[in-house]
Amino acid sequence: MKHERTMTAVAAALAGALALAGCTGQTGSGGGGDTDDSTLTIWHYENEDSAMGKAWAEAIKIFEEENPDVTVEVEKQTFEQIQKNAKIVLTGDDVPDVMEFNKGNATAGQLAAQGLLTPLTDAATERGWDEKLPGSLATTATYDEQGLMGSGEWYGVPNYGEFVGVYYNKDMFAEHGLEVPTSLDEFDDVLAAFKEEGITPLAEAGAEYPLGQLWYELVLAYGDRALVDDYQLFANDVDFHNDAMTKATEKLDEWIEKGYIASDSAALTAEDMGVSFIDGTYPLMVSGSWWFGRLATEVEADWGQFNFPGNTLHTGSSGNLWVVPANADSTSLAEEFIDVTLRPEVQNILAAEGGLPVAGDASVIEDERTRELTENFQAILDEDGLAFYPDWPVAGYYDVLVSELQSLVNRSKTPDEVLDGLQSSYDEGKADLLDG
Amino acid sequence: MADSTLTEERPRTAGRPRPVQGTRRRRRASWVGYLPYLLPGGIAFLVVIGYPLVTNVYFSLFKWRGGMAPLRWNGLGNYVDLMGDDKFWTSFANSAAMIVAMVVVPTLLGLVLAAVLFDYLGRRFGERVSSVLRATYYLPQILPVAVAGVLWNWILNSQTGALNVILRGIGIETPPNWLGDPSTALPSVMLVLIWVQMGCPVVIFMAALQRVDPELYEAAELDGAGWWDRFRAITVPQIRPEIFVVTLTCTVAALKVFGPIYVLTRGGPESSTLVPSYYSYLSFFDKSQVGYGSAIATVLTLVIVVVAVIILGLQGRAERREREGI
Repeated sequence: MKHERTMTAVAAALAGALALAGCTGQTGSGGGGDTDDSTLTIWHYENEDSAMGKAWAEAIKIFEEENPDVTVEVEKQTFEQIQKNAKIVLTGDDVPDVMEFNKGNATAGQLAAQGLLTPLTDAATERGWDEKLPGSLATTATYDEQGLMGSGEWYGVPNYGEFVGVYYNKDMFAEHGLEVPTSLDEFDDVLAAFKEEGITPLAEAGAEYPLGQLWYELVLAYGDRALVDDYQLFANDVDFHNDAMTKATEKLDEWIEKGYIASDSAALTAEDMGVSFIDGTYPLMVSGSWWFGRLATEVEADWGQFNFPGNTLHTGSSGNLWVVPANADSTSLAEEFIDVTLRPEVQNILAAEGGLPVAGDASVIEDERTRELTENFQAILDEDGLAFYPDWPVAGYYDVLVSELQSLVNRSKTPDEVLDGLQSSYDEGKADLLDG
Repeated sequence: MADSTLTEERPRTAGRPRPVQGTRRRRRASWVGYLPYLLPGGIAFLVVIGYPLVTNVYFSLFKWRGGMAPLRWNGLGNYVDLMGDDKFWTSFANSAAMIVAMVVVPTLLGLVLAAVLFDYLGRRFGERVSSVLRATYYLPQILPVAVAGVLWNWILNSQTGALNVILRGIGIETPPNWLGDPSTALPSVMLVLIWVQMGCPVVIFMAALQRVDPELYEAAELDGAGWWDRFRAITVPQIRPEIFVVTLTCTVAALKVFGPIYVLTRGGPESSTLVPSYYSYLSFFDKSQVGYGSAIATVLTLVIVVVAVIILGLQGRAERREREGI
């Protein structure tokens, strides 16, 4: 009796152990390096009714028609999920053939440097992606051995672009007899005019990306492409106390001091900012094209969008990338799918939905605001004016920017001290990146 | 039936004074027999705690960007860097604030609240009133921390938050920027944590109070002891074990707090609400400094273990003293 009970206990314990092992171990199916040309697994994190969602649904349809014996499996992820887990998940075998991932040194660059992505250079030249995506669009698609963008192998392919511009409330402009500014000085005048009427002009958010992007727009207003190459691509060392960055930081400080930016915006989120522009509290919002769809459905006042006045360089870049994990089952199917997403049929859906295609045609767009936005983007592309995002150069810089600029809003640091703080974290992060 | 139990028990009581060798042998045999039952727990411990802990310490000795990037030996370099890192020290200083908000205040306040609910409200207005109130205090504990975070963000938002709208309504032109000003952000977070944490001690202490012999109170009352005297002389000593349990679990929770910081401030503004676990997460994931993040996690684990051992030691001493006192 007793013996039997012991045996049962041991068996139960072993079963428990096996169950635990089952939870933590590999699933076994689809080992690394296997080829499986019968299914194409896609991971992405765009909403079905977003421009990308609609365009990619069309791409999948075309792909399925052309490859009747391939099953396409789409797995919807969330950005956070992929962002935080990519470097763990992609070392395993249960990986997609092609997936959407954020561009930049800190994201796609990291994965490329960690050997988690398949180089796509051959495919890019064979299929002509390098001609469709020239200049600053291709910058974010190529990464070197250390994961720095702008040179080395192709690791990703963008479908669309995004950029930061100025959204304005036309009703409020009309009410105060103001015109769309075309230079930074005119922009200053508009801000001053609103302030005189007792209206805080700029919707801002200190706890998230918006304030950093406004700062960067100002840096670009005073700086040039050489500064961008130094700052983003590490062409030369950056002295943050240079002319452009000093002027930009002092300008931002001046705007805060004059009350063009609300003094209590340090802990506000991008969402807070968007909502307060939508409800007409603020007449101006400097932010990205990703707001376009939301504003189109929610803003009741008449509104429009213009590029940051006087700038030839703008915050912005190609959109997220299609990347192919190193452990993917079928690289060839993945490349074929990526190629489909760059075709005019798919790109024009992006255009019509306000998704800013990289290879689309603005003239086919019927909606006036969407056309305006797309033409503004094309104008930037024509000047090769994408200057990327301020938090890109080094990993973890986003938090540094947020924190330093919060102290500017809270008046707890001078522009000089802010630049010191930005410099030291930048140098530290850069050293970390470069010694790999 | 009753007879047979009696007859069975008699020899056992009779046998107790003399230690029989046979009993000892049987005892050892049964101890071995129980070993397999430890196996599931042992394996779970190894998989869920042991392996990650060892791996974490191992990673902390390297510079590593994660994924398939090469590990580069750094010895104790990460720990040396930690010692000179202001943010690391800020985060541990904030841990002290977290202990105040999650242990000291809730335990003290919880003790008084539990006694008032049990002793006064429970007797005066009936069991039902006190259990409804107890459930209300516990509600924030049930609420997912993400939901609580959104809720408090709505209340504390500088421009549109309920609190500041009310303050502006009563004529305060520039109400505090609760979560945006480094001087108010930490106290605001502490307040939210007190609100979240309060339910736990109240519920545990109320359960403990039911265990206390009512005769003690009656006797004390007859001797003319007031509410405060009874609270101090009977309630607190009687439920001391529960007080220790609450202190221990809440201290550990306070040291490793992450969720509320993540949803409320993300360590901001200007790093004023940074805590060790969030800092570790930032280094590990956002900065891809896996080794450095692991080093922070290792130090945090060490601190938690030391603190837990100290509290357990204090508890053991208190119990021993009590036993000797009797």
